[in-house]
Amino acid sequence: MLKTYRRMMVVAGSYKPQLQKSFLLSVIASILQGIIFALFFPLLSALMSQPIDAQPAWILLGLFGLLVVVEGAIRWEELDFSWTTSLDVAHETRLRLGEKLRQIPLQDLNQRRSGDLNVVMSGNVSELVMWIGGLVTLLIRTVVVPLTTVLFTLLIDWRLAVALLIFFPLAVPIYRQMRSRAQASFRKASDANVDAASRVVEYAQGLPVLRANNQVGERSQRLRAALEGQRIAQQQGQRLVSVPVATMATLVEIGILVIIGLGVLFILQGTLSTPALFALIVIAMRFTEPVSQLIGLTSIFDLMEVSLKRIEAVLAIPALPAPPSPTALTRFDIHFDQVYFRYDNQTQWALQDVSFQAPARSLTALVGPSGSGKTTISRLISRYADIQAGTICIGDVNIRDVDPAHLMHSISVVFQDVYLFDDTILNNIRMAKPDATDTEVESVARAANCHDFIARLPQGYNTRIGDIGGALSGGERQRLSIARAMLKNAPIVLLDEPTSALDTESEVAVQDAINQLVVDKTVIVIAHRLSTIAAADLILVLEEGKVIERGSHRELLASQGRYATMWEIQQRAQDWRVAA
Amino acid sequence: MTQSAFTKPPTGVWSIMAPVKGRIAGAIALAAFSAIASLGSLLMIPQIAVELLSESPDPAVIWRWLGLAAVLVAIAFTSRLASSAISHLAAFKLEVILRTAMAEHLAQVPLGYVVTHGSGAIKKWMQDDVQSLHAFVADTTPLIGQVYTIPTLSLVIVLITDWRMAIATFALLPLGMALIQLTMRDYAEVRESTDRANEEINGVIIEFVQGMQVVRTFDDGSSSFARFQKSLNAFTQSLRDWNAKTKLPGSLATLLFEPLPLLIPIIAVGTWLMAQGSLTFPQLLVFLLLAPRLCGAFKPILTLSHFVNQSKAGAMRIGSVLAEPALPQPTHPKSPQDASVTLSHVTFLYGDLANGDRTALQDVSLTIPAGTVTALVGASGAGKTTLARLIPRFWDVTEGAIKVGDVDVRQMTSETLMSWVSFVFQDTFLLHDTIKDNIKLGRPNATDQEVEAAARAAQAHEFILALPNGYDTIAGERGSRLSGGQRQRITIARAILQDNPIVVLDEATAFADPENAALIQDAIAALTRHKTLIVIAHRLPSVINADQIAVLDRGRLVELGDHDKLVAFGGVYSRLWKRYQEAQNWELRGSASTAPTEK
Repeated sequence: MLKTYRRMMVVAGSYKPQLQKSFLLSVIASILQGIIFALFFPLLSALMSQPIDAQPAWILLGLFGLLVVVEGAIRWEELDFSWTTSLDVAHETRLRLGEKLRQIPLQDLNQRRSGDLNVVMSGNVSELVMWIGGLVTLLIRTVVVPLTTVLFTLLIDWRLAVALLIFFPLAVPIYRQMRSRAQASFRKASDANVDAASRVVEYAQGLPVLRANNQVGERSQRLRAALEGQRIAQQQGQRLVSVPVATMATLVEIGILVIIGLGVLFILQGTLSTPALFALIVIAMRFTEPVSQLIGLTSIFDLMEVSLKRIEAVLAIPALPAPPSPTALTRFDIHFDQVYFRYDNQTQWALQDVSFQAPARSLTALVGPSGSGKTTISRLISRYADIQAGTICIGDVNIRDVDPAHLMHSISVVFQDVYLFDDTILNNIRMAKPDATDTEVESVARAANCHDFIARLPQGYNTRIGDIGGALSGGERQRLSIARAMLKNAPIVLLDEPTSALDTESEVAVQDAINQLVVDKTVIVIAHRLSTIAAADLILVLEEGKVIERGSHRELLASQGRYATMWEIQQRAQDWRVAA
Repeated sequence: MTQSAFTKPPTGVWSIMAPVKGRIAGAIALAAFSAIASLGSLLMIPQIAVELLSESPDPAVIWRWLGLAAVLVAIAFTSRLASSAISHLAAFKLEVILRTAMAEHLAQVPLGYVVTHGSGAIKKWMQDDVQSLHAFVADTTPLIGQVYTIPTLSLVIVLITDWRMAIATFALLPLGMALIQLTMRDYAEVRESTDRANEEINGVIIEFVQGMQVVRTFDDGSSSFARFQKSLNAFTQSLRDWNAKTKLPGSLATLLFEPLPLLIPIIAVGTWLMAQGSLTFPQLLVFLLLAPRLCGAFKPILTLSHFVNQSKAGAMRIGSVLAEPALPQPTHPKSPQDASVTLSHVTFLYGDLANGDRTALQDVSLTIPAGTVTALVGASGAGKTTLARLIPRFWDVTEGAIKVGDVDVRQMTSETLMSWVSFVFQDTFLLHDTIKDNIKLGRPNATDQEVEAAARAAQAHEFILALPNGYDTIAGERGSRLSGGQRQRITIARAILQDNPIVVLDEATAFADPENAALIQDAIAALTRHKTLIVIAHRLPSVINADQIAVLDRGRLVELGDHDKLVAFGGVYSRLWKRYQEAQNWELRGSASTAPTEK
């Protein structure tokens, strides 16, 4: 309970005082409500006196009305949180999450599927905040109102007070206890849910293939079995969940009957007044309502709890450690010195004892089968994650001592996949240098072979990417990303198979653009077509995270090793024909 | 039978419940019954008061009333539990029915529909949207029974007890109802702008997350973060506007629908009437006990409205999926005569939003004799993928006809067509199942020897044997434990086993690494031997030996012939060929610029 409270306060961020205020108001309003209920004791005894005691009844009713108004006013203030402040909390939480995403190592970012992060940032935040106000105050009411009333009942009849105490306020913790135990076994059942969900995903992804193989609809036994399994698990889960609910409701309902029975006994014994009993019954009836509401909302509680956990998990990712006194980069040669690197949650080294030097303005090529560590090297230069051992330096400066923003500023990356933002073409290029003039943007667009096709678009540079969507070919998108990199004009350029996803028509234009981009830069390139990198100053041949050969094209061919074999196979593959 | 569960596609939350409507009606009835019993048990308390206040209370009578109350409570409780159990079971059953109906329906709509919407959307329909119905079907339907029964019955009871008190009780009700209506009213324009803002914020969040890698490398994050912030501000503002409109009635409703305010007029009028001697205490007790129950009946509606709205949205989407027309099936199905493919005057328009109403193919005529190789060549967007997809009927042609073995593809059943045409995709899809079953997908009754032979031909046998359990190894989700090239070879083995006479091959754009490429090439050669082959070519050299090369340009067939003829012709193809040769010779220049001589 207390832990949940503290966690909520953390999420509330700078709105913590408001949330605390709303909780405090809720406690006060609930105590007032308890007092109002307690007024039933004198009120009913006034009404039941023979003859009826009208004057005190009116006075008590006046007091009753006054307290109801005061309580209403306090609750009004309290509601302000769920109507207004909760939106601000959601807003702030999303900003915090967004800020966090800018700071965490890219490795952590890549490990989470983007869909997951979307859910956290949009869905989970809404779920948490929507209920953070209302639900907690409901919980407070369910506990505080009966407790206050029990205190007053103690003055009237301690035996009934004890009976109330046993059945009502205590029912909540008992219920939570039972529920959490039921949930433990419930979790097992939810595996079936996961299984069904992944079968649905599989079916969705495989539909074209499954249809081609006549394995759809009725014939899709796997899907059907999984759906059926899910249903059985859901039913079991429902049974597990309904037991605590039933217990709780029974406790409350039986409680009232027991109190009536006990009361009647005491009255017949002459140890309790009739009005006191009926006052107590009217009051006790009121307690059942929040309790049953709370039961109905427990699934929402779970939802909130899950959301809270997921938001916390993202916020808890440590940011890349930034240097206390950052050093500026002045030279742009790259040094790897005995670098060891392992991805999170992996046992194998992705890179082992990798050392090389790429002088400023040189061309270094990384070659090797997929999974050999080529992309890892290019990622580590931009501090995708921190290495476990060794050093990576640019100039003489360890990249850990460089401010991350400054490091990024010095590096341009051209990936195989191009990401364009749903904004104008102008802004997509300009994001590399926000203060660039239109003329600057146009001149890089010309250099990257983009200008002509941009000019043909309906609104030219002001065309929104989203409006034309698929109308841009892969090559055109790649050229836009190269124009962006040119505008950035960073001294280090990383090329990760920039043309391998393109068709012949686009490839030449992109190649031209890259030729413009790399002039006078320190270039690290990953290319599967070896002829592309034959002129590199240094070729590193990688296998299983180790550098197994290094040298120029000529040296490597002469040494008759791995590279020479790859070169030969590739020359042969070029002559391949489908209809041989 | 595609919509076994529905006679016509559902259009809302009620019609979508049709397959379980009996159970739902039962759940509602039981909930109503429970409400009646529960109100009945309340009425026992005033009876006890009557007895206790009489001249000489008879304990036996009191215990009898109390016993009756206990029985009624038990009935109320049991029927409520039963109601909830029935509605939950109905909801679970409905989930299975809907998912199965969608799975079956998606098997019959044009594949183009599936491909254009993508697996993400399908997963959302089948999983999340169906899930969103749960709140309505399972949790809300029992409440409906309660919401109608309790006020009606209460009204009758209080009218019988004392009409003057009844007026005091129900005086506040219309006001409260009006406020609830006001809160839940659909402010169409506000909702639309909030929906828009919501969509936009979702889009921006997706972009922000997916583009983070780029965001990090191409700016300091400030410009995209600013875009994120801007949309977030707009979103929050639109929510604030909405809340500003509903806050007053909403808060008032929340406060008024508390038992306490309602008790004030009841106690006031009650005190007055009792002072006059025209109301007894047990009568007052009826009102003190009933009035709060009345408020309680409405409250859950407010709380659940959010979930109900979600359910509505989900139901609409499910309905629209089920309403998508299925691919028409022939009344008198025919079978192809041979493995030739003929396109005559084929015109095709994408009739959906994603692709605009543009013409993808215009008057394309092409004859592909059985056992020959035809390559489709052209820039991206020229229509070669569309053309290839029309053969297995991803969509039906807009005009003209496609014939396989002299029979129009629309005159064949899907089964017949699929047993003639294999489609080898760029995307390699593997089931989370054994390698053997994955290969057998193409022909479920194949023997182990046949599977092995297909795997050998696809150059997959060796690496499969090297796996921990050989052919019985489970392919990781989406085949993740296998490399791209290995997955590709397994899907080729599948097609080899299927042994259909016509193969449509989408040539992989990039081979993972040189060694794999050679193996995949051998696998493809084994697959396509003696077959009618239609290949979507992305790289030119692979098609040099094709019997005919069909060059597409903006949806039209512009050139047709073999390699030598087309190069000599000097048109689109010869230009592509020149480009290709240039691209092959691209060399990044190093600082030393010592170009190697050997090539």
